[in-house]
Amino acid sequence: MNILDIEHLNCAFGNLIVTDDVSLSIAEGERHVIIGPNGAGKTSLINQIGGQLRSKSGRIVLEGRDVTGQAPSRISRLGVARTFQRNNLFHNLTVFENLRLALTAKFGNPLDFFSVAARDQVLAAHAAELMRKVHLDGQGARIARTLSYGEQRQLEIGIALAGKPKLLLLDEPTSGMSPAETARMIDLIGALPRSLSVLMIEHDMTVVFSVADRVTVLYYGKILATGTPADIQANARVREVYLGMAH
Amino acid sequence: MELLVAQLLNGLVYGVLLFLMAAGLSLIFGLMNVVSLAHGSFFMLGAFLGLAIVQVTGSFWIALVLAPLAVALLGIVMEVLFLRPLYARGHMDQVLLTFGFTFVFYDLVQTVWGRIVLRLPTPAILQGTVDIGAGVFSAYRLFLIGFGFAIAVLLWLLLERSRIGAMVRAGVDNAAMAAGLGGNIALLFTGIFGFGVALAGLGGVAAGPTLGLYPGMDTDILIPAFIVIVIGGMGSLRGAFVGSLLIGIADTFGKAYLQSIALFLIYLAMTVVLLIRPQGLFGIRYADAPPSAVARTMPPSTKATRAVGLIVLAVLIVLPFGLPDYPRALIAEIYIFAIFAMSLDLILGFSGLMSLGHAAFFGLGAYAVAVLGVQFGLDAWIGLAAGVALAAAGAALIGFFCVRTGGIPFLMLTLAFSQLVFSVALKWRDVTGGSDGMALAEQPSFFGFSLSHSLVMYFMTLMFFVAAYLGLRRLIDAPLGHVFVGIRENEPRMAAIGYPTLAYKLVAFTIAGAIAGLAGGLYVIYNGFISSDAVYWTASGDILIMTMLGGAGTLIGPPIGAAVFLLMKNVASSYSEHWLAIIGTAFICCVLFFPGGIWGSVQKLRGKAAP
Repeated sequence: MNILDIEHLNCAFGNLIVTDDVSLSIAEGERHVIIGPNGAGKTSLINQIGGQLRSKSGRIVLEGRDVTGQAPSRISRLGVARTFQRNNLFHNLTVFENLRLALTAKFGNPLDFFSVAARDQVLAAHAAELMRKVHLDGQGARIARTLSYGEQRQLEIGIALAGKPKLLLLDEPTSGMSPAETARMIDLIGALPRSLSVLMIEHDMTVVFSVADRVTVLYYGKILATGTPADIQANARVREVYLGMAH
Repeated sequence: MELLVAQLLNGLVYGVLLFLMAAGLSLIFGLMNVVSLAHGSFFMLGAFLGLAIVQVTGSFWIALVLAPLAVALLGIVMEVLFLRPLYARGHMDQVLLTFGFTFVFYDLVQTVWGRIVLRLPTPAILQGTVDIGAGVFSAYRLFLIGFGFAIAVLLWLLLERSRIGAMVRAGVDNAAMAAGLGGNIALLFTGIFGFGVALAGLGGVAAGPTLGLYPGMDTDILIPAFIVIVIGGMGSLRGAFVGSLLIGIADTFGKAYLQSIALFLIYLAMTVVLLIRPQGLFGIRYADAPPSAVARTMPPSTKATRAVGLIVLAVLIVLPFGLPDYPRALIAEIYIFAIFAMSLDLILGFSGLMSLGHAAFFGLGAYAVAVLGVQFGLDAWIGLAAGVALAAAGAALIGFFCVRTGGIPFLMLTLAFSQLVFSVALKWRDVTGGSDGMALAEQPSFFGFSLSHSLVMYFMTLMFFVAAYLGLRRLIDAPLGHVFVGIRENEPRMAAIGYPTLAYKLVAFTIAGAIAGLAGGLYVIYNGFISSDAVYWTASGDILIMTMLGGAGTLIGPPIGAAVFLLMKNVASSYSEHWLAIIGTAFICCVLFFPGGIWGSVQKLRGKAAP
């Protein structure tokens, strides 16, 4: 069964159509990358899957279950985690507190109003493991605001992974990063277990071709092509409207 | 028929006066994202300055021109000196600063002109009445209607047809963008603020011959003007115009034909509009304001802080034995308001929701004790339990509507709901005693000790205060408290990691309401008396001041704020008649120089001292 099936999805802001009859399937464990020029509707598509944006018509099906129009919190609890294009952390809290909030949602008891959260050893162990996974070992006490840009993006992914999601949505995880940071991010994504499916938006072609199993090209809200990286590179129309534009 | 026409015209008169208030308020909000609680004060100052000018020159017309100019000058000074430094901070500080000014201006007017109702003389040419076919009507009132409509047309032309108008409209749409396009946004802000308050001053002079002049007229016009811009839509001139006439006419007819529920109807209308169209009839939808300027999570308690806590508690236990009755009672009152302030802080400081209607829940708790005691003869402690339950239920119901919004709309909505509670307390006289209030027949005993003894009262309130403090401290340190802080810091992120944030905000609001109800119930037991004043919006403002003064987002701050506020009020009011001005000034200074409040500043100093 596919982890995600998008069927004839449509969305518009007023007269501006951002998603135009998009249908897309992601198999379990697949690394799927969406590319496309600015304004192609990539982030809008992610926002619809995450529940942040409402679709006009069409269906979003998660593991056979229709989740169209569900609230973000509900979709998150069904196993979809995401990062945001712009850093979206709890900037005034520590790295550890950021992760613990995310862990509490899934493994803790957020309605507990009496036990001292800081003394929860189980969540602390979980958080330590997460910090290792996203290369933030030993940084738990730092305030998120004081992390470097690349570290903040790593923390974003740590927060997303906290709930042990089945599907991870990454919105430009390497944007604004230095080459060294980008390489670290590629490692990090490459090390994710294959039980986890990933749908990501990416601009950097080196990242795209080193990570992707399949690539979808969006162009003015429409799907221009879907296929393996090799197919996409060979696709004449893609070269014409998108890859060619870069030169 | 004649009566109907007369009522309609009276409604229009009130409507145009509201418009002069609402237009400025709305423009200032739309452009600068500042909700000025001092806008009513400028209306009042306009009226009184107008009176002074009439007394000197003998001409109403000179007053009508000069008084608004003087008011504008005052507004410009206030904007440049006080508001401007705060733009970089959240809107919370600006709201509080303008609230501080309402105290100062109120005191000023009361000092110079006294407390009696004065009246501006009607200009000679407009004295007498005019036969309008359907009865006779005061010439001045007819003039007012025409004058108001003329101002509305002029304003519309100014906004739509002039270059400055275009800049203002661009600024309302997107201030940062307008600045980027080369507009001098600082000058524009100052200009619009001055212009807006001049309109309020103009309204004050124009209202002088009909509404009368008295300290307190500021609030009487401010709240309906708020309702107007909420209904009409913030930042929209058309909304202000339509809303003003609607409210003006509805209020006049309501008072004439449906006296007991007139107030109720207006607040209900506002609530309905906000729920269906949160941006108002003609408004633009504003993004929620960024979270408040409070610091990070609370530092965890250590052995040292626990030791300090125990020492403080020991001092509080020993303290009353060395004090006479009066200070004992004062400190007991401080404990009660400390509980109230901490409850507000749970939503304000920890969940990032600024409520200007928290007194509603205090009132529900208070009235439960008073009404159950007086009408049904129930023991006050049973009443207290009922009051906490009632306040929690009220908060759950009101919160259900309010938590859907955030920022300024949340502030407006909580204000509207609390005024709804106030109007019930005021109008349901058979049960609540209205503004005359009701007194408890006898003070209850506390575990067999009589509360009429000040020492018993002291320890009873101390016990509740310590229990509330420890309970809240525990809640803040628990996972639930951390969820509240997470929502304050980044609500969309919380939703994306699986928290149904609305439900959690409602939980916070309900707990805060229940604890406010506890404070209200204790207050009636302490004071033996409650009147509708305790639920009025200024009571919500006072508790907001206490919380911010001490330091929102900390649990120690609000009790400190309550203590400072009540001590200042008691000490200042016994030594000086100008205690309002003193409190207002102290508060303005606090907002300007101690962002984060007293305890917040202490913490910052400690943070700097520590390596």
